[in-house]
Amino acid sequence: MTTKAAEKKAVYGTGKNYWGHLRSEVKRDRYLYLLLLPGFIYFIVFKYLPMFGIVIAFENYVPVSGVFGSQWVGFKWFESFFKFPAWTGYLANTLILSLMNIIFFFPAPIILALLLNEMMNLRYKKLLQTLLYVPHFISIVIVVSITFVMFGPSGIVYKLTAQLLGHPINYMGSPDTFRWMIIGQTIWKETGWGTIIFLAALTNVDTQLYEAAMVDGAGRLRRLWHITLPAIRSTIVLMLILRMGSVLDTGYDHLILMANPLNRKVSQTLDVFVYQQGIQSGQFSYASAIGLMKSIVSVTLVLLSNKVAHLMGEQGLY
Amino acid sequence: MKKLVSLVLALVLALSMMSFAAAEDPFVISVLLPEFPADIDFVMEDNPVLNKIQELSGVKLDIHWGPNSTYAEIFSTTLADANPPMLVSATNARDPQVINSAKAGAFWDLTSFVNDPENYPYLSAGNQNIYKSISVEDKLYGIYRSRAFPRGGIYYRLDIAKEVGFDKEVKTIDDLTELAEKLAGYSADTYALNMCSYTAGTINVITVAMGAPNTWGVDADGNIYPAHKSEGYKKGLDWLRHLYEIGGIDPNFAQISTSDWDTIERNNKAFMRFDCLDNAHRQQEWFENNAGATTQLFQTVGPVAKEDGSITVWPQNEGFVGEILVMKNAVKEEDLPKVMKFLDWCNSPEGQTIINAGLEGLTYDVDEEGFRYVPEEKSDEYSKNSQMYHNNVNQLGMGVPGNLETPKARVNRGATELRQRYEDLNVELAPYAVLNPCAGLASETQVNFGAQLDPIISDAAVQYIAGLIDEAGLQAAWDEWAAMGGDQMTAEYNEAYHAAHD
Repeated sequence: MTTKAAEKKAVYGTGKNYWGHLRSEVKRDRYLYLLLLPGFIYFIVFKYLPMFGIVIAFENYVPVSGVFGSQWVGFKWFESFFKFPAWTGYLANTLILSLMNIIFFFPAPIILALLLNEMMNLRYKKLLQTLLYVPHFISIVIVVSITFVMFGPSGIVYKLTAQLLGHPINYMGSPDTFRWMIIGQTIWKETGWGTIIFLAALTNVDTQLYEAAMVDGAGRLRRLWHITLPAIRSTIVLMLILRMGSVLDTGYDHLILMANPLNRKVSQTLDVFVYQQGIQSGQFSYASAIGLMKSIVSVTLVLLSNKVAHLMGEQGLY
Repeated sequence: MKKLVSLVLALVLALSMMSFAAAEDPFVISVLLPEFPADIDFVMEDNPVLNKIQELSGVKLDIHWGPNSTYAEIFSTTLADANPPMLVSATNARDPQVINSAKAGAFWDLTSFVNDPENYPYLSAGNQNIYKSISVEDKLYGIYRSRAFPRGGIYYRLDIAKEVGFDKEVKTIDDLTELAEKLAGYSADTYALNMCSYTAGTINVITVAMGAPNTWGVDADGNIYPAHKSEGYKKGLDWLRHLYEIGGIDPNFAQISTSDWDTIERNNKAFMRFDCLDNAHRQQEWFENNAGATTQLFQTVGPVAKEDGSITVWPQNEGFVGEILVMKNAVKEEDLPKVMKFLDWCNSPEGQTIINAGLEGLTYDVDEEGFRYVPEEKSDEYSKNSQMYHNNVNQLGMGVPGNLETPKARVNRGATELRQRYEDLNVELAPYAVLNPCAGLASETQVNFGAQLDPIISDAAVQYIAGLIDEAGLQAAWDEWAAMGGDQMTAEYNEAYHAAHD
């Protein structure tokens, strides 16, 4: 911050001088700024103005009374949530699922991208890539249905494990398997799609480095470890920072589709709570309050992890 | 897609009407109704049933359909909509958002209309007690949708019961247990009791029959307590658990979708069900139409006595389910009488007949004795017509003055007895119905955390039945419920109950 301010000072001077400079710059490049205008308006109208709706988190919002006519209740909904003894359970379910997601799902696209990168046959590689993207475009409803057909009580996997182990594993109806099923589905659906950004990063690796390493007698694994991975390190860190921003986001549709009375204990996350309150029970204020709280935590986590990235010598987000 | 096109067309039509409004154009009434899935899509354009309704009632209908499975979501977003339909069907009259919106003035006060027999003869013939019980702050905001009462109950497969050696009427809990145990032993891959992921109905039927209160009870001191604290509730769960243990319930019932519930019976996989009694004759009709059944296959169970001879029955409803609301920001004050006239018409003999039965020659014929019936040779055609033109329209039905359909229905051969028995049982069981003392009362905890607290109890019940937890586990779940806000909820209901009754 201080260095940036110093830079500005050096270039533009301070106070009035700075604004004057800016104005003359805008005047000079007015057509370029005109080009910027539509995007600027778009962000104001569709991204910033709607944010004022957040005030309903501090109101007892009744649609017919509107945002301005509803009763102001301050922090009532926040207090109400923290007074609800089960809120820690919701937070724990959210964090455990997110953590498992980061540990097991996050590395999956990186590994797959590295594998793809090692492929020699270009045509086969392209075909494979296309096939790997397909699951991303399949609706989660379909994915869950397929899972039910395969892992449900009459499914092939269920029957096979029952045969092999001598006793069945209730994949779809047990708190022990629930999170693994969710992670498994996520990996199946999103790994291929997740490789895109890493493959893009991999194309930037200087091939001369590989040649040089080969001359030095480095094998495949050595090259992978000393050249490829360091080359995409900053991309990985960037993606991880962005992922930190959604630690509290588990989504609700996937979880609701997979939940039933036998596993509900572990499927109740903050997003599910927001869905239950906001959409199902029409408690818009309550849901907004929880959503706002989640957003604040997310922003804090992004800023924090960015800081950590800086400390580790990475460029980070900005 | 068709629906979308027709909706757009209807909208365009409505818009063009507005812009070129001539005096003789019919008044347009928009309405949001739940839509139930069928094999054949409902037709909106050139629909003879809709056309007839519009012709007779003198209004133009603009129906918005909300799929039943997601109706709660559609309903809450509609209430938040700046341009909602004029009429909105609410499936729960005591939904907190209905009450909050009513207090904030979202709906028209209809009190004067149901007290005006001269202009609104059918609406004013409705049950004043129900009108009173759905009123908010002494103002009536909706016309209730009446339902048969008590409707909840037990039915089983008569032929299978005879086959396993049960050939008497179920009159006591012991009879019921004997029947269930015998049915459980019928074959290795069939079950006695048909259960699915919707367990609330099943659990309510058996626990209330065993003496539990309906959701909330009133103890000897006049205080409110939750149903699960009663002895009857535990007995009911034990009964189900026992049946599960001896193989009388599908071990995977908690993962069976509600849409498969009927199919299981139709595939002869389970022979008894605790649900709505009228399902028995619907299943009978299905077996007659699709499996060539010629004898009575199903039997409904009358009053079931406990050991001490007393009888308690879980009513599926309170005589009504939900209401139709009139939105204030969609209906101008001067148009309100027109809208109410339409609602009144829907409750007239003429309106009820079309809404509940469709049209003569399209969905039913009239026999020489003046009864509606479906001739056998036309049953496929009429069933197809019903799905295309009529079935979903019945959601417009309120039936507040009772059933005034003319002509009345004559029912299919074999199902006749069951239908008649259903009507009789509703009368016979009504005095034993146990009502929820907190049905019309408010609890802030229920509003804020009901969606989180209620499943603790119901999930624990399912796990207990399935043998996944023991009594200690059940008690632990109840304690958890109490600590998470259940005790608070009980206290709030207690306060509201005393305020209403002292």
